[in-house]
Amino acid sequence: MIGVGKAKQYANVLDKPLSRGRQEVSLSAFAFLFSELVQFNQTQVDNIAELERRLEDAGYAVGARVLELLCHREKGNRRETRLLGILSFIHSTVWKVLFGKVADSLEKGTEHEDEYMISEKELLVNRFISVPKDMGAFNCGAFVAGIVKGVLDNAGFPAVVTAHFVPIEGQQRPRTTILIKFAEEVLHREARLG
Amino acid sequence: MALVAIYSLFIINKSGGLIYYKDYGSAGRMDTNDSLRLASLWHSMHAISQQLSPTPGCTGIDLLQAHNFDLHCFQSLTGTKFFVVCETGAPNMEMLLKVIYELYTDFVLKNPFYEMEMPIRCELFDLNLAQVIQKDRVALLGR
Amino acid sequence: MPPPTAPKSGDALFASVDRVNAELFTLTYGAIVRQLLTDLEEVEEVNKQLDQIRDARVEYSNGLADLRSPKFLGYNIGTRLVDEFLAKSNVSRCVDFKETADVIAKLGFKMFLGVTATVTNWDAEGTSCSFVLEDNPLVDFVELPDTCQGLQYCNLLSGVIRGALEMVSMKTEVTWVRDMLRGDDAYEMRVKLIKQVPEEYPYKDDD
Repeated sequence: MIGVGKAKQYANVLDKPLSRGRQEVSLSAFAFLFSELVQFNQTQVDNIAELERRLEDAGYAVGARVLELLCHREKGNRRETRLLGILSFIHSTVWKVLFGKVADSLEKGTEHEDEYMISEKELLVNRFISVPKDMGAFNCGAFVAGIVKGVLDNAGFPAVVTAHFVPIEGQQRPRTTILIKFAEEVLHREARLG
Repeated sequence: MALVAIYSLFIINKSGGLIYYKDYGSAGRMDTNDSLRLASLWHSMHAISQQLSPTPGCTGIDLLQAHNFDLHCFQSLTGTKFFVVCETGAPNMEMLLKVIYELYTDFVLKNPFYEMEMPIRCELFDLNLAQVIQKDRVALLGR
Repeated sequence: MPPPTAPKSGDALFASVDRVNAELFTLTYGAIVRQLLTDLEEVEEVNKQLDQIRDARVEYSNGLADLRSPKFLGYNIGTRLVDEFLAKSNVSRCVDFKETADVIAKLGFKMFLGVTATVTNWDAEGTSCSFVLEDNPLVDFVELPDTCQGLQYCNLLSGVIRGALEMVSMKTEVTWVRDMLRGDDAYEMRVKLIKQVPEEYPYKDDD
């Protein structure tokens, strides 16, 4: 008898038990898929800003779902309501689930009150990617910026999130910094909550 | 003489086009035209050798020995050729070629900005390759 | 470093490569499909326009549509991924299509997706068979909405196989025959070898 696999049929995706998130695929499978995401989107745009935006959009869709999934699975259906709480949730919980490690650092911007930075020496999505010189400062980390934005937005912390290469002294390769600039309303609310 | 065991590295696509050439300090450093011509010639010789073979199943030339250098060639099943020119008797060149093939699958083929069959311009490939070649030299030092 | 060795087992192979949480992969694929669905709507409009023009152009426009389908994405991935498979699995040239199919099922699926496929339903000539997947990391969290009932969600996988095989001189046709997202009891794709392209010799004149 063929086709008798482990996979069980469910009438509805909601009947299916939620995966515990322990299943793995090879990093290569993801890298090839991500490369294809970038290639496909390159065919759809005229300029680099547009490509960035489209990668961010793709990431946003992932972030929105990750928030829902992790609040349910890791946090007993609770989500963070305070700014530092949600930032550390992203920096540790989200990063660990998606990228297998806690992010290298989470810092507050020194010049602006509303800015925070999550930095990674080698962002997983950039592991195999060399950006051609003629693309300037373009960073495929825009996808990860989109994920962060998707989490924040859907948790009630609207923000502008962007990915940047930052040179490190004594290193050949720059690190990637995800810059988060919160909307004014978020900071007002934080101030009110004290 | 320095520790240089490897003189140059070539990668040729399946149609015989040179897509990567790196010189590690050989006396006969070639200009672009010469390297392209050499790549295409090697591609043909490789194929001719398969026709010359008295028994079926020949996959081409693996090693060419000259009196003052060796040339080791590896062709993947997909038709991409990697070859190194090195000092005579340099060991472990098959392993080195295999490692270079793996680097190619990581830092060239997974790069969304690399177009298949085209010349390789990938910073990460260069960096990782340089490390491997360096290591190889170190390994040779330790003999 | 050890010398080149015999092919590894599927489990050993999967254990030897870097891995990531399957959810990152699944959700990213979902994001790609969403983008395709959004973009394709426009392309279909373009196609309607082009439909009126001569045959070749229509083919071209269909080609465009194909460019944007998950099958094409998969094909593209296949043409790149095959080298990694060959480089890291230590498999050498397969003697025939049967062996190739076995290698894909036992090593290929395992190395990249961590799952195994069963090869079954061979035809008499040994040129077509089915891969049945026990587990499919693409579809976690997925349910096809009413508006997308015609979507071949897993076409990425069939495209990968077609693309990878083409790089080792095998032209194939790969189609899904069973799809659990569409109510079937398993994921089954049919792989048919169309022709084995002989190697070309560069010094021969073109015919």
